[in-house]
Amino acid sequence: MATHRSCALWSYCGRRWSRMMRCCRLSGLCSSWPSDPLGARHLSQEKPATETHFGFETVSEEEKRGKVYHVFESVAKKYDVMNDMMSLGIHRIWKDLLLYKMRPFPGTQLLDVAGGTGDIAFRFLNYVQAQHKGKQRRQLRAQQNLSWEEIAKKYQNEEDPLGGSRVVVCDINKEMLKIGKQKARAQGYKAGLAWVLGDAEELPFDDDKFDVYTIAFGIRNVTHIDQALQEAHRVLKPGGRFLCLEFSQVNNPLISRLYDLYSFQVIPVLGEVIAGDWKSYQYLVESIRQFPSQEEFREMIEDAGFEKVTYESLTSGIVAIHSGFKL
Amino acid sequence: MATLLRSALRPLRALGGRRGPAADVWLRGARHGAGLLYPGHIPTSPLQKALLAAGSAGMALSNPYRHDMVAVLGETTGYYALKFLRDQMRKDPEGAEILQKRPRISLSTLDLDKLRSLPEGSLGQEYLRFLDVNRVSPDTRAPTRFVDDEELAYVIQRYREVHDILHTLLGMPTNLLGEITVKWFEAVQTHLPMCILGALFGPVRLSAQSLQVLISELIPWAVQNGHRAPCVLNLYYERRWEQPLRALREELGITDAPTCMSGAWPRP
Repeated sequence: MATHRSCALWSYCGRRWSRMMRCCRLSGLCSSWPSDPLGARHLSQEKPATETHFGFETVSEEEKRGKVYHVFESVAKKYDVMNDMMSLGIHRIWKDLLLYKMRPFPGTQLLDVAGGTGDIAFRFLNYVQAQHKGKQRRQLRAQQNLSWEEIAKKYQNEEDPLGGSRVVVCDINKEMLKIGKQKARAQGYKAGLAWVLGDAEELPFDDDKFDVYTIAFGIRNVTHIDQALQEAHRVLKPGGRFLCLEFSQVNNPLISRLYDLYSFQVIPVLGEVIAGDWKSYQYLVESIRQFPSQEEFREMIEDAGFEKVTYESLTSGIVAIHSGFKL
Repeated sequence: MATLLRSALRPLRALGGRRGPAADVWLRGARHGAGLLYPGHIPTSPLQKALLAAGSAGMALSNPYRHDMVAVLGETTGYYALKFLRDQMRKDPEGAEILQKRPRISLSTLDLDKLRSLPEGSLGQEYLRFLDVNRVSPDTRAPTRFVDDEELAYVIQRYREVHDILHTLLGMPTNLLGEITVKWFEAVQTHLPMCILGALFGPVRLSAQSLQVLISELIPWAVQNGHRAPCVLNLYYERRWEQPLRALREELGITDAPTCMSGAWPRP
């Protein structure tokens, strides 16, 4: 009983501690404070050679960043083809469900982190455009007589077809951004889209800028997930929403066995045959196993300061969408 | 119901399907240093080898520029043929020496200046000329990855590096017709399933005229020479650079190429 209470007290203190840490970091008082008891981060002055996982391998933290960069550099060209092959096209449904959950309204400012090839950004633009068109049609039906200014504006195409919505795609990898830009050009997306090279752990944006922050299949590759979550909290406006689509733990034992068999036996073979790269896809399936479960990740998001954190498991838990609000 | 499904899954488990970090020690441990037999080795289960063989065969056929797929096909299907080749090498004194010393043919191990200074008509000169004329390099051979025996991995690596020298010996260029002819020769010599498949399915992409030439002249010639010549992997080529090519061909019993190919690549 006593231990329960002390645990709760400890975690409460820990949370407040980490929040104070963040404020102090911003105001530059970090040198006098000891490190966070939860062990989430180390101060910039002391940088011990901490180890982390790269798939099932153990590497130092600096190494992991470089290795992940190389993985995505080599898979960039075949990224979309491989996604379709590995998930048999189901990844499209997952991404559509993420947009459905987001329900953006015209005027939403979206930041898509680790959004390299632009899947989420393009879906967002389609959604907002379709919404805007629907709104216009409803307006026309409601009031049949438009003023001459409105008619003139329609003919001059001065109206913003997105209704003020903007999406910024941020990725740490140049190759992935290059492929994304090529796709945008090929599919005709121009307005409302920006491409930024940046690190999820240190976003090149000001505080309180975006309405929605999404990260789809990217956060498990980040070296310090808690830092990425804190950055997400920083750049969101109050009332903003954090959405994460990521591979997670399967809840059904039978499907889990089949999923493991498929992941470890088939996916690296597909990677070798289609993309000529076994090791990158071996890393992919191993990194999925290393990612925390739905509940653990939910707690991590709460620790970063988000509230009303929920998750929804899709396809028996193969992927999960986590959602939190900055209030 | 659950027990039925579990018993159905038992054979699947035997195929090598393993779960997360704890149960996956076989895959994990092997990948990260403990079970690696040679640098670049990727241990694979029988199911993975089967899938790789099928996938690489299909990909190699649909996209002939994927040389890495041909290599993967050779590695995953060549277990018995490689053992046969290794035993052949062990029986021959020169071959046994190669197995022991493990020489490699690559741009870093070849002394290009010395080879260029060799007399006209020698093996070394002709080999260099072949590399220049066809614009290939011995360094483009993929390293072995999926063979689960370290000696057999060397044997297939040696086979790949000797492939260009075979082109020189047979006088075949690197166009599709030349490659198929060399594959027929290699199929008879090595019995590697990859060579046999390449020899049988390669001609699918040929025009009717080339096919005619292939069947009437090149295949019989390649097969005859393949049977007549001793195992070509038993030659320590690094010691034979000065040997005149003609003399080497006589030693191996390789006759001149059919006249249809004589214009393709100037020979002494």
